[in-house]
Amino acid sequence: MLAVRTLSAAALAALLWAPALLAQHAATAARVEVSQSSLALEVGDSTRLSAKVFNAAGNEIDAPVVFFSSSRRRLAVSRDGKVEALRGGEYQVIAVVRSAFDVRERIPVTVAYPPVTRVDVHGGAERLFEGAAVKHTARVFDAVGDRRREVPVVWSTDNTSVATVDRYGVLLAHKGGNVTLIARAGGITSSHRYRVERNPISSVRLTASADSARTGDVIHFSVEALDGSGRAVTGAPVTYTLVPSPDDSIVAASPAGEVDDTGRFVAELPGDYTVLADVAGNLARRTVRITPRQASQQVKLVGRAPVRDVRTSDLWIWEGVDGRDYAVTGTHSAKGAAYFWDVTDAAAPELVDSVVVDARTVNDVKISEDGRIAVISREGASNRRNGFVILDVTNPRDVETISAFDDGLTGGVHNVFIYRGHVYAVNNGRRFDVINIEDPKTPYRVGQFELDTPGHAIHDIWVVDGIAYTSNWGDGVVLIDVGNGVAGGSPSNPVEIARYADFGGATHAAFPYRSPTGKFYVFMGDERGRPGFDGLGQDTPSRMAGYIHVVDFTDHKSPEEVARYEIPEAGSHNLWIEDDRLYAAFYNGGLRVVDVSGELKGNLGAQGREIGHYMSYDPEGNVANAPLVWGPQPYKGNVYFSDMNSGLWTVKVEPRQQPTP
Amino acid sequence: MARTLLAALPLGALLWVGLPLPSPPSPSYLIYVAAESDDQVALVRFTPEAGFTVEKTIPVGWWDQEIEAPHGVTVDPSGAAWYLTLGHGFPFGSLVKYRTGVDTAVGVATLGLFPATVAIAPAGGMAIVVNADFHGDKVASDLSIIDLETMLEIARPETCTMPHGSRFSPDGSRHYSVCMVDDQLVELDVDRLEVARRLPLTLADAPAISAEGAHCMPTWVIPNAAGSALYVACNMGNQILEVDVAAWRIARRLAAAGRPYNLALTHDGARLLATLKGQGAVGVWDVATGQRLAVIESTRRVTHGVIVTPDDRYAFVSVEGIGGEPGTVDAIDLELLEKVASVDIGKQAGGIAFWKVADPPVE
Repeated sequence: MLAVRTLSAAALAALLWAPALLAQHAATAARVEVSQSSLALEVGDSTRLSAKVFNAAGNEIDAPVVFFSSSRRRLAVSRDGKVEALRGGEYQVIAVVRSAFDVRERIPVTVAYPPVTRVDVHGGAERLFEGAAVKHTARVFDAVGDRRREVPVVWSTDNTSVATVDRYGVLLAHKGGNVTLIARAGGITSSHRYRVERNPISSVRLTASADSARTGDVIHFSVEALDGSGRAVTGAPVTYTLVPSPDDSIVAASPAGEVDDTGRFVAELPGDYTVLADVAGNLARRTVRITPRQASQQVKLVGRAPVRDVRTSDLWIWEGVDGRDYAVTGTHSAKGAAYFWDVTDAAAPELVDSVVVDARTVNDVKISEDGRIAVISREGASNRRNGFVILDVTNPRDVETISAFDDGLTGGVHNVFIYRGHVYAVNNGRRFDVINIEDPKTPYRVGQFELDTPGHAIHDIWVVDGIAYTSNWGDGVVLIDVGNGVAGGSPSNPVEIARYADFGGATHAAFPYRSPTGKFYVFMGDERGRPGFDGLGQDTPSRMAGYIHVVDFTDHKSPEEVARYEIPEAGSHNLWIEDDRLYAAFYNGGLRVVDVSGELKGNLGAQGREIGHYMSYDPEGNVANAPLVWGPQPYKGNVYFSDMNSGLWTVKVEPRQQPTP
Repeated sequence: MARTLLAALPLGALLWVGLPLPSPPSPSYLIYVAAESDDQVALVRFTPEAGFTVEKTIPVGWWDQEIEAPHGVTVDPSGAAWYLTLGHGFPFGSLVKYRTGVDTAVGVATLGLFPATVAIAPAGGMAIVVNADFHGDKVASDLSIIDLETMLEIARPETCTMPHGSRFSPDGSRHYSVCMVDDQLVELDVDRLEVARRLPLTLADAPAISAEGAHCMPTWVIPNAAGSALYVACNMGNQILEVDVAAWRIARRLAAAGRPYNLALTHDGARLLATLKGQGAVGVWDVATGQRLAVIESTRRVTHGVIVTPDDRYAFVSVEGIGGEPGTVDAIDLELLEKVASVDIGKQAGGIAFWKVADPPVE
């Protein structure tokens, strides 16, 4: 044993890394030779590759070779060398000696793009008059359904005296007559027949829903085209353009407003804006004045309940059955604790009880409508059976555990919501389960809902008026009837109503809001992590990314993303909307309070809609002076929010002060 | 003065006068240990004289505020890279490749649902990860076979419900995993990348040494150095099964109360170690006789992984702990069969892998 003890590190390493048999085996394979050095295939072709393995002396040896593809979904390769071209592109087949993976050969494969089979033309107009200019776009698809962006589209018309089209698909009508617009790509054409009518329009009247407004307010422009007799001409295409003239006090103002093809206009900066409407060569203009929104108000600290030894997660504030006000906060990557606070005096929250369950993370905490039941989620249970725990909070100073539910929820419940005697629990990031807790001692499952899209996932759920709003990362937000009745759903039979996926695909939290304008918005918050591989340690401030997408669900059959709220240097997390105010947790960007009154359009953050923000700096925080705001809740005139690094905070949005000359 | 004189004496003189040779400092052992509930991996050094030091705590994953659950960890046979499974994704987990020493992530492969144990072929180049899908519906899952140069998935053969444990045969021609729900041992033909054999592990016809019925719930499998035998931990069945590879049958059953979870063999094949997850301990068996030599209590509860140093001198054990407790790494002296050191790391210490023997740190 002494001999072993005194072996050098190198000798011990040799014992570990040099099993003689393997070294010999690996050394024998020195080169692999594949039957073809490259492949050129058509989609649908298949061929078979074979390989020979040689040792260092150049002698062929018997060693198995494994083949695989650099892109399995586009070029299928079986382990024994069968190659099948599924989609066009440049790929590689990689052949490796199974016993010596460093002995490999890469075979370049070119799969010719299949022929273009379809050109879809979008845009255009219902009617075309002399002098009109109408934009078109084209999408090109090949035989296997791939969109072929690299294939050029050549536009033309069959009668250039009637209409011409430029290289970007803008059709200009010159005189009356029939004309065919042609989009040609990859030998395939798509055409659209127009009849250019004599232009009957003699005047255009441009109206606006308001002559002046504040930044962020939406003004609707509309056009009325009239013929020489003063009769309305319908169906004529309208092109809106904008001439901004920001206040001269604004340095380096970029285009500070936008008007879309339906005439909706919004400005980010104060000034005069002239909207031009081009109706078949007939121009009309109208100028509106935009004034500062003057939304800013002070956000002042009211009180706080520091939690500095562990990270804080979600919160809920409620009025207890004793009429006092309470808060519950969870903990993250910690000890499975939930803290209960008396916040009746918001300036001096008092810790009144705590509960510790077998978990590392209590990510979510929710209170029933009657203030008697709390549900806290569990993740990181020592027996890997997570689920949630039901608590009696009738007396928040003496919280008692009623029951735990983990049947089928072992993978961890990340978020929950309580609604009318049921817990809606996000189950293992894949679906939500509905658990009846009318008798909280004996909870039982009554239903569940899971998307059917490939690779689907769910992160959060929120229930309002019998509709569950689930946040599903790449699948966006999904509205599900769990008792509203609009789609015949119930807790035991959740029925999907609608869904919307934004382009970014990082939907993490959603909050519905019925605006006094009659619009029904769903605010979809992203969550995006830090850039990968940055090597930052745990003690450095976190920085997240992502923003809030505002989707107009007024017509739930055709939701439209209309606005965003973004802070470039921080990422969104949980949010709450009440009385035309968005309260948004933006991690390292602190708490943000945003005016979401009126119709919403464009980049809200650039429109002066931010009322205020609060940065929760805490020199003694988990990470010092590093705000990491998790979630907000407005309550009785204050705004409570949790910060991962420093606990529970209470702030107040002060009444707006009138400037004193 | 005495030290000076001693240093001046030639080695032969020391031997001649019968003085003991000065012992060279013992080497250090470097290991990686994953902390599943803190999204960290600790690089830990153990030196016999000094015990443990945590050399580095490496944050892993991409989302600070979402637990991504680093679970399985292993080191490439060359020692140049280490590999980590992240159990949670959106929804799929991943295998991340890191350069050892600098501990910088250099590649990632998307896997299946909750990938857990990872093993690298003895000759390197290929990893096989079990997609354990611990918490999904009880449906068949699969293995992800990954080319480690490109981090591309080569194949994904389906095996069974809740596969766990991942080890290659010593010659690399076979791969073994077990099925926690289906009570099976699965042998994969690595040349064909197909399941070759399955062995039912139900305990129904076994001697009544399990108090918890016939469910084995296997959680780990390891081959012996010759590849002739496999050892399977029946976590629920409280047994360790010895499987005759040639005959493909259970050859021996070792009683192993305490919910055996992970296994390790000394390189000489003489001793078998099992973490006893339910007992918070490590059991040590004499392989030849089947006799249990010791049960060594862990520092905390929920004992998880175990590895043995290349010189068979020490075993290192990861211990999860419960709730807010830190995870812990214990060192067991395999001569004394005693715990000789421990160190706390991030919460829920689980995956554990040996990196290298190194010279001791300079004082």
